[in-house]
Amino acid sequence: MTYEIFKHFPVLAIMCYFVGAFIVTLAGKRRMLRNVVAGAVMLISLSLLLSLVVPVMVDGQIITYWMGNWEPVEGYAIGIAIEVDALSLFFGLLVAIAVALAGFYSFRYITQDDANGPFFTLFLMLSGGVMGIVLSGDLFNIYVMLEVMTFAAVGLTAFRSWNPNAREAAFKYLVVGSIGSTCVLLGTALVYAQCHTLNLAQISAMLPGNMNPTMVFAFAMLFTGFGCKSFMFPFQPIAADAHGAAPSSVSVLISGVFTKTGVYGIIRVSYFLFRTMGLTSMQTLLVFIGCVSMFVCVTMALNQHDFKRLLAFHSISQIGYILTALGLCSALGIAGGLYHAINHTLFKGLLFLTAGAVLYATGTTYLEKLGGLARKMPQTAALFMVGAFSISGIPPFNGFASKWMIYQATYEKAAETGSIGYALVTVVCVVTSVLTLASFIKVGQSVFFGQLPLEYENVKETPLSMRIPMWIMAALCFLTGLFPDLMVEYLLGPATAAVLDTARYIDAAMGAGYAEIVANSTAYLAEPVLVFAGTWDPVSWLLLFVIVMCAVTLVSLAGRRSRGALTLADDAKHATFFGGEEAEFSHVASGDLFWGFKHNLRGYLNFMSRAHSGITNDYVVWGVCAMAVITVYCFIFM
Amino acid sequence: MMLANYIGAIALIVIGFYAMIVKHDIIKIVIGMGITDYGLNLLIVSIGFNEGGTAPIFTFGELTSGMYFVDPVPQALTLTSIVIGACVTAMALALCVRLYKEYGTLDSRRIRRLHG
Repeated sequence: MTYEIFKHFPVLAIMCYFVGAFIVTLAGKRRMLRNVVAGAVMLISLSLLLSLVVPVMVDGQIITYWMGNWEPVEGYAIGIAIEVDALSLFFGLLVAIAVALAGFYSFRYITQDDANGPFFTLFLMLSGGVMGIVLSGDLFNIYVMLEVMTFAAVGLTAFRSWNPNAREAAFKYLVVGSIGSTCVLLGTALVYAQCHTLNLAQISAMLPGNMNPTMVFAFAMLFTGFGCKSFMFPFQPIAADAHGAAPSSVSVLISGVFTKTGVYGIIRVSYFLFRTMGLTSMQTLLVFIGCVSMFVCVTMALNQHDFKRLLAFHSISQIGYILTALGLCSALGIAGGLYHAINHTLFKGLLFLTAGAVLYATGTTYLEKLGGLARKMPQTAALFMVGAFSISGIPPFNGFASKWMIYQATYEKAAETGSIGYALVTVVCVVTSVLTLASFIKVGQSVFFGQLPLEYENVKETPLSMRIPMWIMAALCFLTGLFPDLMVEYLLGPATAAVLDTARYIDAAMGAGYAEIVANSTAYLAEPVLVFAGTWDPVSWLLLFVIVMCAVTLVSLAGRRSRGALTLADDAKHATFFGGEEAEFSHVASGDLFWGFKHNLRGYLNFMSRAHSGITNDYVVWGVCAMAVITVYCFIFM
Repeated sequence: MMLANYIGAIALIVIGFYAMIVKHDIIKIVIGMGITDYGLNLLIVSIGFNEGGTAPIFTFGELTSGMYFVDPVPQALTLTSIVIGACVTAMALALCVRLYKEYGTLDSRRIRRLHG
């Protein structure tokens, strides 16, 4: 079977978004026309990528497209390549799905804002930029797309004119994000100085084994740059600010898609271009950064009082899982990391959309003000529960399936290397998972359960057009968790193989046998074999889950329930502790739920809280320090 | 000669980062971002420079065998990078204007509603 026709699909998928972005502007205030154009663009891109699944994922083809048909001459890449292997397609699909769902959600959601036209222009620019990064085969192209994406994201963060924090968040985001962009460009320039090419395939054929100090510096720069885009540890405060200020459907993109480009960049740089992941020192670095991001962000999340800011910290915490898993450099670890990447996009997207629904209905995301919304918005509450269970890793949802793989991978690594450190990593992963659950209990308690404040008596369920994307996401959360075997076979397996098999990528771009001629050896890292320490049976877990749920429902139905809203006296909360009569009806605010826990950890939590000072200069210091530390580390250990 | 360029480029980048770290005036932070960009542009152009090379334009009549070009690719990269840098500056300054209107100050230590 010939795949000639598929060659043009990836570039069309990218172009669709950009062309759509400009056509949407022409639609102006005609909302219907704008929705039709934006919807059509998103669906066309999604279907173009879906049609590539069979040739790339199943048949194992690598699609190379040279822009303007400038093919390589005498083993030198001249033109700009679009190269799609299983890894690129994996991230591409993730992007297309998240964009389509967030886009359809925004049609209604964004009507609350005054400026309707620019939103979809920026939204589609952001999508196109991300799609360009994951499908491109050219280092400088990746940088340009990174900038397009960052601009659009900053614009969307500052978009809400009625949100007083939006401009501040956007400014910090732009300044700290520019450190990342600078790093990526510096790294790209240094790579060009050494290799005289920008084509990923050709660089990855030339570089490995030829590491000189310039290349070590270039690697450190590219690693930090993409790390900044994934908001790994020292860059996390800007993510929290941006998510809190941006519209929810944009948060879905920033958290689910934008950060994934950082992860994708780290994979490309360290597994492909420089192939440094074989070194123990690099594995240690990535696992360390992952663990720190994971733990710091989850504890920061415990301290938050804003729904979306809390979700933002959790988002980075989950990125920590992905980085940790990728740092293990075993087939199981990579598969687990990629699995968690797709799950993270789904459940985080779902949670941000429910936060958006709450904002749409009540006009606030401040946890202390909300309460008891499950009575008024039962579907949103149910959807939130699905998302919360998924992110906390409760079977049978998808978070459990991927976390289970990551635990196995870390544990296997510990057994393999015999180091206590990796066993500790497993512990950190599990503890983070528990803390995640704790903070989602807090959110659920203070938003959807407890007493309904009087001012939200007339709150209505969100419109159907907003609920449908959420239900689709919830269904996907469920399905990806139920069929881990199918996921591994059709998505994760090929993508993992693509990560580890660089030679095929090079040959597909530069002509057969190129990798063998140029590179000294094509053998690299581990053979892509996926062996599980033990699989889990979703059906029996589901059964257990249903039984437990039935029991909980019965117990809760047995008790009397108070219906309707109640006015709370100002001191009702404190009356609980002093024997007041109103104790029965007082609403436990989110800040009080884990006060004992927080009180015991107050030293650490206060320190972290002070460290996230909100001053732009401090965040720049963090970023520059990260850059310096990673550079020095690379020079010492590489 | 090229060494001076490289040293100058790195110095500009470092000065830019210094301004972003130390200066509390947000306009000066934006200037710092700009200086970092210029340093990078200088670095990229220097990478493509060949001592004694001509402009990378094919003029077949004048071409003799002893001539060679400077590398045109870094120049194209620099042009792109300059455009992007200008966009960053414009956007950042636009945000500064809005921030000044909303907060009444340009001091980054007082623009910190989002913290903790």
